[in-house]
Amino acid sequence: MQKAFFQVSTWFFVLSQTWGTLGYPLECKDEQGSSNRCISIPLDKLFDRVIQHVELISRVSEECCSLFEEMLVPFPLQPKTSRGVNICITKAIPVPGSKSEIQQISDKWLLHSVLMLVQTWIEPLTYLQETLNRYDDVPDALLNKTKWVSDKLPSLEQGIVLLIKKMLQEGFLMTELQQTLTHFNKQPEVLESTLRDYTLFNCFKKDAHKIETILKLLKCRRNHKLSCLLY
Amino acid sequence: MATQWIFLWLISSIGCLAADEVITIKGSQKLPHFTTCRSPEQETFSCWWSVGDYTNLTGPGMLRVFYKRSFKNTGGEWNECPDYRVGIENECYFNTTYTSIWVPYNLELRSENKDVLYDERSFNVEDIVIPDPPVNLNWTLLNTSQTGLHYDILLRWEAPPTADVAKGWITLIYEVQYRAVNDTEWKVMEHEKESYLSIYGLKTNTIYEIRIRCLQLNFDKFSRFSDIVYVYNFVPVTKESTFPVAFVLIFIVVGVAIVLMLIIFTRQHRLMMLLLPPVPIPKIKGIDPELLKKGKLDELNSILSNQQTYKTEFTNDDLWVEFIELDIDDPDEKLGHSDTHRLLSLEHLKSGKSLSMKDDDSGRASCYEPEIPEMDSLPFNVNLMEGNPEKACVLNSEGTVPNPDLSSPNATQAKAEPEKAKIESSGSEENMPVRPYPLIQTQMSNQSWANMDFYAQVSDITPAGGVLLSPGQQCKSEKTPEKEKPAEAKKYQFAMTSDSAYTSEIDAKKLSAIPATNENDQNPEKDLSKENCISTENQSEESPYTANETTVITMPPVSDYTSVHMVDSQHSLLLNPTAVQTKDMSMQVGYLTPDQMSSIMP
Repeated sequence: MQKAFFQVSTWFFVLSQTWGTLGYPLECKDEQGSSNRCISIPLDKLFDRVIQHVELISRVSEECCSLFEEMLVPFPLQPKTSRGVNICITKAIPVPGSKSEIQQISDKWLLHSVLMLVQTWIEPLTYLQETLNRYDDVPDALLNKTKWVSDKLPSLEQGIVLLIKKMLQEGFLMTELQQTLTHFNKQPEVLESTLRDYTLFNCFKKDAHKIETILKLLKCRRNHKLSCLLY
Repeated sequence: MATQWIFLWLISSIGCLAADEVITIKGSQKLPHFTTCRSPEQETFSCWWSVGDYTNLTGPGMLRVFYKRSFKNTGGEWNECPDYRVGIENECYFNTTYTSIWVPYNLELRSENKDVLYDERSFNVEDIVIPDPPVNLNWTLLNTSQTGLHYDILLRWEAPPTADVAKGWITLIYEVQYRAVNDTEWKVMEHEKESYLSIYGLKTNTIYEIRIRCLQLNFDKFSRFSDIVYVYNFVPVTKESTFPVAFVLIFIVVGVAIVLMLIIFTRQHRLMMLLLPPVPIPKIKGIDPELLKKGKLDELNSILSNQQTYKTEFTNDDLWVEFIELDIDDPDEKLGHSDTHRLLSLEHLKSGKSLSMKDDDSGRASCYEPEIPEMDSLPFNVNLMEGNPEKACVLNSEGTVPNPDLSSPNATQAKAEPEKAKIESSGSEENMPVRPYPLIQTQMSNQSWANMDFYAQVSDITPAGGVLLSPGQQCKSEKTPEKEKPAEAKKYQFAMTSDSAYTSEIDAKKLSAIPATNENDQNPEKDLSKENCISTENQSEESPYTANETTVITMPPVSDYTSVHMVDSQHSLLLNPTAVQTKDMSMQVGYLTPDQMSSIMP
């Protein structure tokens, strides 16, 4: 029964992703004679916008974390144990944690990693949004913020896709999503719900910071190629 | 998956047990523990520990730090601290190679032989970032206010050199605080993402101190404060700066005064109206302010008595005139200028029969002229202030002033005409319903004024304001051809209804009660007066105005003269002690003898 449910949800997610990809305005042509409905944004501005977007998401995620922790104060279980172990759902997406290492990675890889991160978090946040309602006296601020972030992620994804297209001059590539999906789907069985939710919030906060940092590094690299590559 | 779960539990349980074990074994002494872990730029970090009370463990190598980074799915392996720094405090330093962000770290403080676990920490490096303070604070003066009391500055600083803000590896936001040197509290500005800030509104000749600290964007750990920079702006306070201001003010004031004076004295009316609008003077509707000046009270009285407001005074219980001046000792006045005449305004009637409008001026102008050029002002006049014969405006029976401005004379005249005819037909029928003013006038005109007694003493005043005159002499008076002095007392009922029909009623009463006194047309007047005599009684009985009818009125002889004793507080005349005032509304019925009155009154 549960397996069937997971399969269905997996396929649903995949389909929604494909549907989403097809919906991207990649057909916005800059050449003459074609549809002039879209206005091409210069890359710098696009970068700024995306970074602003991510900064905001990062801030809201941090607020969500602290709100959730406050809510859990009466709980005896402090998820201290989760801190020591990396049980985030996105650990499958390897992003090095040091500046020097990141600087050695190509734009393409970084951008794709970022995109994957964003895509991975869309569904868990929707799940979080629903699961929060099960808590007693959950603050409205937390619900609102979670909802806001959940709504914002798809547009961030769009922005990154656009960035990829502009920077790398390539269309959207379907990367392996199933791996991450299965990861997430398996988690609920293992962990207790409160711990799981707390972990989710923390992991999302971390990943938001990750996306932010990577994009900023990319921006610097784009603008000042030489100085940014130097250590 | 299952193994993962088990592993988790194991770790946590071990950790808990270990802690418990340590506490229970060692008692209350302070164990060696980590004091703080900090990363200044998110690329390196250090952890410090203290030995607590275990001073025997101070030496190097006595305590060891082990760490573990958890990468991906693997739990990671325990390694010893890569760099023990020996300084003031025990420190374990991790350089960039050993620092990874977004990765959980576990640190343990163990004894030399790794057996005893004193303390442990777990964290992500990005969470322990505490930046270095900003550097190179400087400020420049932007501007100084015109008063020389305030100024603005532009403050600049630089990010800490360790933080790699340029590449975007770490994003810092700054918090600027400033205060005047003698203040106790710092003013905190809003967090700033840039490396400069304008501060407005600093006071001159005051030393300010400014300091800045920074923190990583979206995190909550502040750096230490930067060095304080002092800001000072000296603006000499010269008398010259204040002098022009005072001078200018004085100049302006003097100039304005001069202009005003010029305007006033050259009597530029328009300008005066503009600059100094006239203060509204007291004004009563319908009355020319000129009348309020000295010497024109007769018109005023006539007007006022015609006013509704004035009227309502009379409709109250005890309100009468302010006072009625009685010139008892003044025989030098014109014939018929007794008080009675004044009260009755009968002086016009003396001349007679004709009701043509006399030329004497007083009092009519505002009320009657356009309306009733031929009518005489017969009704009751109230002598307000002086003994001047005044004429009150007559209210029509509805109680409203026939507004001379509005109603056309023709209309009233026209109204009067048919009524006239009507009355004549009815003859001496004194049953007079409420009729408009001109009608009464005509009635009066038809009747002989000669029948009216010019001498009537006020014996009492009813609560409603009616004047009770002395009775009885009406019919006798017809025998006397002329009356030059008030020889006989006539009693006139001046009953007043609660509404304003009093004058009409008075007229009616007067009409009927008039004895023949006129010198000229005596005979016919006599007859009429006789009729009137009778009709008086009748009327007093039948009068529709009277609310409460009393018994049939007889006419016992009464003293001719009843002097006014005094005016009491309710402005009613206190006559002879025999005649007692009453407040009873029922007394407004016409004709009452003093005996009746005394019986009714308390």
